[in-house]
Amino acid sequence: MRAEAHRRRAFWQILLLSAGLLVLTVISAGSVYLVNKAREDSKWVVHTIEVESQINALLLEVRRAESSARGFLLTQGPDFLSDHEKAVAAIVPALDKLTRQISNDPAQRENIEKLRAAIEIRLDQFSREMTFVKQGQPDRATALIREAAAGNTTTTISNMANAMIREEERLFRLRTANSDRSQTLSASMTGIGSGLVVLLAMISIWLVRRSARVRDEAEARLRDANVNLEAVVDERTADLREANDEIQRFAYIVSHDLRSPLVNIMGFTSELEELGGDIFRRIGDLTHVSADGSSLAPGAPGEIVLEGADKQLSENFSEALGFIKTSIAKMDRLISAILNLTREGRREFQPAKIDTRELIEAIVSTLAHQAAEAQAEIHLEPLPNLVSDRLALEQIFSNLIDNAIKYLKPGLPGEIRIRGRTKLGYAIFEISDNGRGIDPKDHQRIFDLFRRAGTQDKPGQGIGLAHVRALVRRLGGTMSVSSELNAGSTFTITLPIAWNVSNRN
Amino acid sequence: MTQPVTIIMIEDDEGHARLIERNIRRSGVNNEIVAFATGSDAMRHLFGADGSGLVQKGNALLILLDLNLPDMIGIDILKQIKENKYLKASPVVVLTTTDDSQEIKRCYELGCNVYITKPVNYENFANAIRQLGLFFSVIQVPPAAT
Repeated sequence: MRAEAHRRRAFWQILLLSAGLLVLTVISAGSVYLVNKAREDSKWVVHTIEVESQINALLLEVRRAESSARGFLLTQGPDFLSDHEKAVAAIVPALDKLTRQISNDPAQRENIEKLRAAIEIRLDQFSREMTFVKQGQPDRATALIREAAAGNTTTTISNMANAMIREEERLFRLRTANSDRSQTLSASMTGIGSGLVVLLAMISIWLVRRSARVRDEAEARLRDANVNLEAVVDERTADLREANDEIQRFAYIVSHDLRSPLVNIMGFTSELEELGGDIFRRIGDLTHVSADGSSLAPGAPGEIVLEGADKQLSENFSEALGFIKTSIAKMDRLISAILNLTREGRREFQPAKIDTRELIEAIVSTLAHQAAEAQAEIHLEPLPNLVSDRLALEQIFSNLIDNAIKYLKPGLPGEIRIRGRTKLGYAIFEISDNGRGIDPKDHQRIFDLFRRAGTQDKPGQGIGLAHVRALVRRLGGTMSVSSELNAGSTFTITLPIAWNVSNRN
Repeated sequence: MTQPVTIIMIEDDEGHARLIERNIRRSGVNNEIVAFATGSDAMRHLFGADGSGLVQKGNALLILLDLNLPDMIGIDILKQIKENKYLKASPVVVLTTTDDSQEIKRCYELGCNVYITKPVNYENFANAIRQLGLFFSVIQVPPAAT
């Protein structure tokens, strides 16, 4: 449900960003296009103005030529002549320029053809007038002017030019309008686009803030849960520790108090045994006396001589006492074991730097006799050093090595190997042998108190491995076994390289 | 020794008391043995009604003490004996089932003279008590007054 909401939110975010990007792209492209178009339109507007001014310039030159021609006719002053010649010389280039400028406008091209024809006629008239004046025939020149006036050449030029100007003005209006529209369009596009981007940004910010708020809330909840969890764990740990301490105390007191009656049972059983001995000796003496009438050398003193039913009675008596005594002895061993275990459980560990190799070599030397008897060889490979409790380590290794020697295969020379390595702050030790092995179904059982596995042909209480595992756990480590029947065993112990009080749990 | 030594046995378990007495006797010790099954009875006897210990002035005592008593902590009795000016010279033998090293250490620190753990194995038990009896027959005990 929450994951679904998350996915949806992420989808919307992406969609928003994509939309924003798209809008920006469109606006950019549109703006570039519209700006270009506006520039183009402005160029055309400028072009129109230029054309207009060129027409006016042409017209001006024509007027100037005309007026200077008249001046020359009236005064024959060379000034007028040169002025006229300059004007005439300027007319044709101006006309050519204009022609070039409007070459793309068919309507104007038609106009300019007419204008050009009219100007050419007028120029021809000018040249003829000038020739007449220079030849000293001003009358003919005047007549020509009159003729020109009658032919309306000047008016035609004027009209044509005006028509062109009008046309250009129309174009100017048109193009100005175009340009304005382009600019308006560009501006509104930018405006709308910016608005859209701002809107998208706001939606995006809103979404981000909302998700941030959701995240903050989740974080707060998580923090609360963590604090809560820690408190719960602390509480449980304290409970467990208390329970454990209580069990330890209980076991200690119980095993201790069980010992007292056991002393009595054992003591008075022994007393009874002695008493029984005395009674049966007396019976033996009496029967011999009564049978022979006198004390007939009943063997050495202290030796009981009985026959028949009496002998049977005495044997039954001894057997019963024997069972009681072995049971008491066994019970005593069990109680002692529990006492030792609880004592170990109560002992405070003293972490110290330990040269593991030295420690194990010392253990091996104390077990050298047993090893020689079992024809076992013990190989030590390089071992990592630890900071841990020396006594605990000694007990762990001596139990395991002792077991390895004890449960070898009869007739096969033993080979016991002790390996070590480190991994992530832990030292891992492996004690492997080629002994009789342990059936996998017994792998759990062998670590239980008073439980043993396999052929019961060796003395033992079933305490060693339970003790070792309890120690390893208290040292903050773990232990496991891998073994097959008749294929040797490997016990693996993982211990923290540096033990301290906080490792305990 | 002008006066025969009296053995004060403070032992809550009657069976134990019987076994101890029997084995002490077997070792040939014939001194009077006064047994107490509770700590308070023993205290009353040792320290008297006023609790000063004056009643034992001049008596030669040897105290056999079990630490696990129903009404008192044996160690407290030991402490009081060793703090009393009339009793502190009397040898105290702690004879108990506890074999905790801390406990043993504490007893010796408080002035106990001998600490013996009762072995469950009767042969060992009998042997220990008999040897203790032999020990009793040779040691010198000062009278309780100074």
